[in-house]
Amino acid sequence: MNAATPVWAAVLGVGVVVIAGSYVTAVADRVIEQVVARQGMRWRSALLGPARSAALSMTQGRTVTERSDAPAWALAPALYVALAATALAVVPLSRTAVGADVAAGLVLFGAAQALATIPVFLNGWSSNSILPEIGAFRFIAQALSYEMPNLLALLAVSVPAASLRITDIVISQQHLWNIVRIPLGLPLFLFASAGLAFWGPFNFPDGADLAGGTAAETSGVHLLIWKAGRASMLVATAAMGAAAFVGGWLGPVLPGWVWMLVKTSALLIALVSTRHLAGRVRIERYVVICWAVLIPLALLNVVIAAAVSL
Amino acid sequence: MTSSPLAIDIAFWIFGIASVVTGWLVFRVDSMVRASFLLLASFVNVGIILLLLRAEYLSLILIMMMSGEMAIMAIFMVMFMMNPAGLNPMNMVHQHRASIAAGVAAFAVLGGVGVFSHFPSRPAASTDVTMALGKELLGGSMLVFESAGVALLATMIAAIALASDRGRYGAADDGSTEPVPDPAHPAATPPAGSANSEPEPSEHEGHAGMDNMGGMDGMEQGATT
Repeated sequence: MNAATPVWAAVLGVGVVVIAGSYVTAVADRVIEQVVARQGMRWRSALLGPARSAALSMTQGRTVTERSDAPAWALAPALYVALAATALAVVPLSRTAVGADVAAGLVLFGAAQALATIPVFLNGWSSNSILPEIGAFRFIAQALSYEMPNLLALLAVSVPAASLRITDIVISQQHLWNIVRIPLGLPLFLFASAGLAFWGPFNFPDGADLAGGTAAETSGVHLLIWKAGRASMLVATAAMGAAAFVGGWLGPVLPGWVWMLVKTSALLIALVSTRHLAGRVRIERYVVICWAVLIPLALLNVVIAAAVSL
Repeated sequence: MTSSPLAIDIAFWIFGIASVVTGWLVFRVDSMVRASFLLLASFVNVGIILLLLRAEYLSLILIMMMSGEMAIMAIFMVMFMMNPAGLNPMNMVHQHRASIAAGVAAFAVLGGVGVFSHFPSRPAASTDVTMALGKELLGGSMLVFESAGVALLATMIAAIALASDRGRYGAADDGSTEPVPDPAHPAATPPAGSANSEPEPSEHEGHAGMDNMGGMDGMEQGATT
């Protein structure tokens, strides 16, 4: 393990990334919304709007429902943010700046993503209210569909690197990025991960048709944390995509962390913009696509990864 | 990470006690969803203890697999039990004598193994534990096991494809049920095939009243003839 990063610095760094990343995601979401709407840019609203709505959330009280599972309901948003932070901790910002450079980092990232199913379900289920409940059950169907292609797409990058350590995976792309070497990986990973953060076209559990879904009864600080969790999950996904598929900190002239920030931002903007550019797909179609198309493609991707690293 | 033995001992006791307490709570709560997720919490605590033992890969795989499994288990239990959402209180324990006997026997056997078996006292290797674990578990049969794994996954997907594919009575998500022939108009019954299966659910909701009236018409006809 990397002894260079002290624990306090790692925790502080991940905390800063979670908060700043959530804010950047919220701003990017508003900017893209205004660009797509073509009604002129209102920069003030885009830059300060998230702060304003966060402040509003902090002043609001908490919705109370009848016979809810109070502890689970209160803890679900916190657990979701914590898992996003755990996932972020293993992604290296540069050669030396990494929160936790664990040997099985890729598996840790996958475990955090898989465990993130639980708080989403709990957030809907424990409010004991019908629309959140439906959202929760929808999400399980969705989660069982995207998990397999997600993990297979991620694990394929460990084959050329012959390691599960994410810094090793970045270093293995010194001569050729994984997006060229294993071209199916990044699209599969981004598709699956947009489902994981139930964002844009894959927002089944928290959709408008369920009046907010699992978060329909969530309000106040809990809602703020819930939104921050979703945003940080998107940031974690973008960061992992940048590290695992487009060479992470590798790049000419500029320092490594700048390259990592640039690549992560590009992927984050691509993910965020799906909310404004694509309509929501039907859940039945989504499930069929995941099982019948993406899993075979992900297996093919693993075979390609094995073939190129022979 | 360099940690003092005392810190590791404290962590072991915290997570060990948490694991036992959450495991005990599985049988004390009155909801299947709560029970599943408390069991998951117990497994996560065991996973963290594995992490303390430097079995990084085993620990993370345990947490990853259990999170998926417990989610599926919660859903299946809610689906198969007469409890619409898993929030209604219900008794989670049954067959008391048999389960007490099984519990005592399992505790005795595992405790006996823990107390009487001879564990090696060498420190954990600082080399690549994941690779060593793979070689230890599978040895030279790695390729065979991996192929079997992919074959099993393909079988699972094929089973799901067979179960969910568009059948002869329409798509699975539209019901895919055999059409019930209408005795009044035997020729007019359209095959509920893929061609005209689009707006079925909404139609039923929209014209529920009219359907009822149709049924009553049929009953009246039956009564008069």
